[in-house]
Amino acid sequence: MIKTEIYEQVIFETIKRGATEISKDVKLAFERAIEKETKQDAKKGLIATLKSMEMSKIRENPLCVDTGWPIFYFKVGNECELEGGFMELENATRRAVAKATEKGYIRATMKHPLTGYDPGNNVGENIPNFTYKFVDGKDIEIIYVAKGGGSECFGGTRHKVIAYADGVEGIKKFVVDCFVASTRAGAICPPSVLGVGIGGTANVAANLAKEAACLRTVGSSHPEKAFNDIEKELYKALNGLGIGIMGAGGDTSVLAVNVEYAYTHIAGICVATSSNCMVARRASTLIKDGGEVILQESPTWFDNRS
Amino acid sequence: MAEYHLVAPLKDSDVEKLNIGDVVYISGEAFTCRSRLQKYIFDEKNVLPVSIKDRNVLIHNGPIVVKENGKWKLVSFMPTSSIRFEKWGAKSVDEWNLKMIVGKTTMGKKTMEMMKEKKCVHVSPQSVSPNLWIDSIEVQDVYLYDELGRIEACWFFRLDDIGPFIVDIDTKGNNYFDALEQEVLKKRDEVLKSIGVDPDFEYTELYRER
Ligand code: SF4
Repeated sequence: MIKTEIYEQVIFETIKRGATEISKDVKLAFERAIEKETKQDAKKGLIATLKSMEMSKIRENPLCVDTGWPIFYFKVGNECELEGGFMELENATRRAVAKATEKGYIRATMKHPLTGYDPGNNVGENIPNFTYKFVDGKDIEIIYVAKGGGSECFGGTRHKVIAYADGVEGIKKFVVDCFVASTRAGAICPPSVLGVGIGGTANVAANLAKEAACLRTVGSSHPEKAFNDIEKELYKALNGLGIGIMGAGGDTSVLAVNVEYAYTHIAGICVATSSNCMVARRASTLIKDGGEVILQESPTWFDNRS
Repeated sequence: MAEYHLVAPLKDSDVEKLNIGDVVYISGEAFTCRSRLQKYIFDEKNVLPVSIKDRNVLIHNGPIVVKENGKWKLVSFMPTSSIRFEKWGAKSVDEWNLKMIVGKTTMGKKTMEMMKEKKCVHVSPQSVSPNLWIDSIEVQDVYLYDELGRIEACWFFRLDDIGPFIVDIDTKGNNYFDALEQEVLKKRDEVLKSIGVDPDFEYTELYRER
């Protein structure tokens, strides 16, 4: 049995870490991009961003002011027991989000969609949002994602149902054209971590795209060759567009392209994209059945993606 | 591309010399706004409770500000996307007598026309680096905090040489990103061909787009 006190504290700390600390894989991707960049202004922008992100850890302030939608993923052992049950896990998450907002680790960004009412604590209808995955065992992995507004609103996150006849060619064209449109004037804050979801109903494809963008380790590969080939092709192709940091021209436009898929109805293939902005914020913590807490470098939402 | 260190309030001559692609750093007084403030003023017909005469640099931004020992402390700052304020862009430039808008992305056609007429530029950041800026921003005051909430409120800032920002709209009606878009679109065709996609590939029409 994992005590409420423990998981509530872990959730709070995971929010703080996700919002204020750059992930190791993202840092590595930045260092590589800086080394490769041939356009001087773009190089300066990448260096400034990395420097600021490193300062955030010390200052305990957000990597970017817009901490966006607070989204949680729980990878739960089938025999995991939580004090108060799963409804209490969600209540504890809402309390932790409110506390992190009050402390200034995340910004009070969530508003009523029609009236604009501001609860001031990022807690409201369906927000924070929860996704669960069940696995063997008794542990729980808690993942927090701060999904920024720019990368979500300006065409980085879209979907289209194409005919089965349009196949891989149609999939790749959709991704490239979405990316070109959404990076104009740097709207989605490239270089992006681009997630692509293929198959399933539209919501399934969109969820897979979001998970691919936010939960996969930057630099990881899909284990199935057909999908890994698409990842590699798109990565090279998008970086050949010359979009660069903040869309002002440069060699690195994506830090990664991650593809996930679901079986589909042959009547149509849904293709969805989800772009994560360059700061790519998320953090993951594992709580063992006995209450032991392990900070993870990267979420382990997907198996066999290395 | 030239580099300028400007001091607000800005004069016509300060901004007229700027060309797209130039880099600027800004000092002096500025104010912030987001959609809620523009809707409040321009659609709901309220008046700003304070004079912005001599404050002609607008920053599209919703900062994180906390109160510490009775004083405002800026925790984080990053300009937000200007393009989403296009509906009120021309009105803001005109009625607020703006000389410079600081924001991510750029503005649309209507605002650009007004900017040309009224001599105003748009500048945008080339990095996401709040920590390289917050030490150079002093929070002077806030208005409409209770009415609009913490991040939609109108914050008054004093800037100390913050930048670099790139001029993406100048006073002559040029847009840096329009020029770049043409280059990207040219590369798009080559890039699609390189991954086995015909740039003119047409999708099977499953339904009529409306
Ligand atoms: S899209 Fe850009 S401005 Fe928005 S959170 Fe991400 S990096 Fe920040």
